[in-house]
Amino acid sequence: MNRRAFLALARTGPARTAVPTASIAPYQQPLTRDDALHLLRRTTFGPTLELVEQLVGKSAEEAVALLLGNSASEPPVPSPGQWVNQAQEDPRGVDIVTRGQIEATWQSNFRNLQQWWIDLMRTEKFPAREKLTLFWSGHFTTEFTYDLGYIPPQVLYRQNLMLRRMRLSNFRSFLEEVTLDCAMLEYLGGTLNVAGKPNENYAREMMELYSTGIGWYTEGDVKEAARVLTGWKASLYSDAPAPNGLFNTWFKPSDHDIGAKQFLGLSIPARDQDTNTEYLVRTGEVRRMIEILFGQRAEAIARFMVGKLYRYFVYSNPEASDAEVLAALMDIFVANDFELRPLLTTLLSSEHFFDPANRGVQIKSPADYVVGLARQMGVSLPGAADALARMEQDLIDPPDVSGWREYRTWISTKTLPQRVQYVQQLIASLADTQAQEFVRSFDRWQSVDSFVAELTRFLLPRPVGTNRLSYYTSVLLAGAPNYEWPAIVNNAQAVGTRLRALLRTIVKAPDYHLC
Amino acid sequence: MRRRDFLRTAAALTTTAAATQIAGLPVRASSPLLSLPPQVMESDNVLVIIQLFGGNDALNTVIPAEDDEYYRIRPTLAIPKSRAWRWLSTDLYLHPSLAGNGLFGGGFGGLMDQGRLAIVQDVGYDNPNLSHFRSTDIWLSGINSSDPFVRLNEGWIGRYFARVLPDFPTVLPSHPLCVQIGGTLSLLFQSAKGDVGIALSDPQKFFELGRGSTPDEEPLPETDAFAREFNYVRSVAAQADQYAQAVLDAYNRGRTTVDYGSRGLPAQLGMIARLISGGLRTKVYLCYLGGFDTHVQQQDADEITNGVHPSLLAQLANGVALFMQDALQQGFAQRVVGITISEFGRRPYENGSRGTDHGAAGVQFVFGDGNSIRSSRFGTAPNLHELDSNGDLIYQHDYRRLYADILLNWFDATPEDTAAILGDRIAPLNVIKRRTVTSTPPLEPTDSSLMIVPNPVGTTGELHVHLKRLAPVSIDVYNLRGQFVGEVFHGILPEGYSRLPLPPLRVGSYLLQLQSGDCMLHTRFVVGQ
Repeated sequence: MNRRAFLALARTGPARTAVPTASIAPYQQPLTRDDALHLLRRTTFGPTLELVEQLVGKSAEEAVALLLGNSASEPPVPSPGQWVNQAQEDPRGVDIVTRGQIEATWQSNFRNLQQWWIDLMRTEKFPAREKLTLFWSGHFTTEFTYDLGYIPPQVLYRQNLMLRRMRLSNFRSFLEEVTLDCAMLEYLGGTLNVAGKPNENYAREMMELYSTGIGWYTEGDVKEAARVLTGWKASLYSDAPAPNGLFNTWFKPSDHDIGAKQFLGLSIPARDQDTNTEYLVRTGEVRRMIEILFGQRAEAIARFMVGKLYRYFVYSNPEASDAEVLAALMDIFVANDFELRPLLTTLLSSEHFFDPANRGVQIKSPADYVVGLARQMGVSLPGAADALARMEQDLIDPPDVSGWREYRTWISTKTLPQRVQYVQQLIASLADTQAQEFVRSFDRWQSVDSFVAELTRFLLPRPVGTNRLSYYTSVLLAGAPNYEWPAIVNNAQAVGTRLRALLRTIVKAPDYHLC
Repeated sequence: MRRRDFLRTAAALTTTAAATQIAGLPVRASSPLLSLPPQVMESDNVLVIIQLFGGNDALNTVIPAEDDEYYRIRPTLAIPKSRAWRWLSTDLYLHPSLAGNGLFGGGFGGLMDQGRLAIVQDVGYDNPNLSHFRSTDIWLSGINSSDPFVRLNEGWIGRYFARVLPDFPTVLPSHPLCVQIGGTLSLLFQSAKGDVGIALSDPQKFFELGRGSTPDEEPLPETDAFAREFNYVRSVAAQADQYAQAVLDAYNRGRTTVDYGSRGLPAQLGMIARLISGGLRTKVYLCYLGGFDTHVQQQDADEITNGVHPSLLAQLANGVALFMQDALQQGFAQRVVGITISEFGRRPYENGSRGTDHGAAGVQFVFGDGNSIRSSRFGTAPNLHELDSNGDLIYQHDYRRLYADILLNWFDATPEDTAAILGDRIAPLNVIKRRTVTSTPPLEPTDSSLMIVPNPVGTTGELHVHLKRLAPVSIDVYNLRGQFVGEVFHGILPEGYSRLPLPPLRVGSYLLQLQSGDCMLHTRFVVGQ
């Protein structure tokens, strides 16, 4: 029997429910090993044996609290380097040689920034901040390479810190922060949005992509929102004005439209020159507009954001039977005044989240796939920023303002072979002694059958059938009889070769691309 | 009877006999009738789609140079009449960056002169959506849903192949059906049965990476979401493996006879030319040119051929002109037609940043050999005096009309398939001509004549049809945007004159279409008070 035919017999593991039936009620049982693995697969870039041990036996709520952390009182992330505080001139105003130097510096600093973030994803333990920060980075998109050139990486770094800090905050306040974020002002034409010549770019996306979704406002509302947002500037360059300091936002009263605005049926009164100040415009117009948006379109915002978070953390393609769960989550979001923490806590510690039908159904992003292997095997990630870009997940530089389409679109005939090849290179970098140590970190490693069963349970999202287990065992033993396994493990070189061969096989399996 | 209808009938007739005669030998489970490939798989017609992402500014592409209003609403961006390229003595003017240097000088001006380009004015749909993403999805899916919650999960090309290839994806064609140059696979090539296309940017790399990527694990029975996602990943990996060799072989065999350079749209078109030349039997190619979202400084203040938008136009025109020249020199020009798509045009009024904001109706280009397309301008210059409530252009042509051309005329789909794929009955614009040779067309255009009496029609009207011989016909009324309005007659008409009543119609202008097999006739008429 060839290995294909052999595996054809394997098919599925045990029968399980076809659609999720569990509700949003809290998951009561103490977490089993499989529960902990599932929770870690969805909220981090991959479980490690150490983190699994810490969660087993805890209640879902305790585990989620540990994972989410408390953004108000957590240690700062380490800085990527000196460059984050050094400004360059505006490259559009200098000669071509200087321009080339500035942009080359930015390119290199930007790669440094991406690698810095990937290392945070790879090394973080509890709290697990990065998966949610990546969600917000994909939601409140900003591209390093945009129509007019580059957004300086210094402000992209600051935006990334802001996303991490605000990740569990009140969504209304979050949107206000984003609206006046330096990088965002530059990215979506905010700095060009001046009285008499409104630029609608951000105003439209604020609703279409960042809060309500399309269909909840008129073109008139877009125009009026653009007028509200006139006058804001970003200090991006060493030769640009910086009344509030470098890499900060400031307000230029003469560029602000002081006339009255009508937004979503409510009015924002006109002001005179005396009240045309940064503080009063921010509170009386920008904040007021966002309050109107949340007041008039609460249900749309809840639907849009709950749907998006659900697709990110539970399943990308919710079925009709999930409607009740989504509706209950929307109620929780609105009842808690758009606070994100109670929403996420409820979702991630619910029976629904742990429903067997929701396990292993999510397609891994390139970051999940690549960083996950590095976390699980304890290897580093050389050139990962470029590798992720080749897999179409160029961090902080999505293809356009709507961000990545994610899920199934991560997998194409172009990107799928790319990710497998890169991860197989990582596997090749796994040292013999590392492999030996890895095998011995499993409790029952001395039995080859137990080891393979435990390994697949650790690496794959659902149990695999006995035929697949036998096949993987045969790949691992490479012809040696079962009883020789402990001796193989005692020989670093022998176990290294064999473990790497098995890992190369497993990372190609369709369910290794799922989590 | 069409050739393939004949084949289907013949196959059906012989099946029973053949199956009984070979009793004892393995008989295929699927019926030969179903496994007979559709016409599209037998023909070697190729479609190239160029997606201009960001919303191309139609009014600074094809210039309404004879309308003073254009110069009033575009004080800093308008192209002076003296600088625009004029087609013959018509009111069709092109941006000089798009026109190139006239005949054989490259550019769309040259292609117009050679009869290898068609221009479709004011293409759009109802309730224009000004979001790049929703509108792109509307264009790629071929479905204009006014409900924002309707998720558009399938492309019209994906739906087409999923519909006409009943065994897909259990049985994969030996060459990829669709190829996208670069990027994440487009919605255009997605279907409920899986992707009908592959994405690649470098055939050598595609081969090295894809070879051997078929997973060891077999597909799962699709009982739940896990199995569906598992099988999805598995089928993509299997396609990467299966097509790796076919693509590389074609690439290595193929050649180009012009210099496409190594960047941008021309390089993408060069890759397509090389794959076609090397014998890849792919039906649809997609390439992509972004950067059309020109809110700010779309054109230099002092020189209209410099700046973002003019450069993009030059890239488009140069790429297509090179491709057509290459196709002619290599002898595959008659097999290829191309169209451009863009999610919307831009607002007629320029904004304050020397740019333009999102608009509605846009312009489409069709390129191909003179035997494959009718080279002309379709529709009139945009009407800048009657805009919609948002200040945007009102469309003249439903955006699915060229899709109907492609399905009916280029891929030989049936009218039923076409209506099912596009969600509505859409009249083809007939920019693209039929190329497939069929055995016995039931009618030639000279066989019949159409007359509406009276025209304009009052409270009642009649259609007078004259046929030289008995024929099955379908006669329908469409509005001038190409959308179906009502049926007149479906059935067999006798030789000679027939008089058929028209359905009740509101005041307006209409298009009457008679279709019989491969023959299609149109006449326009007006319904008055």
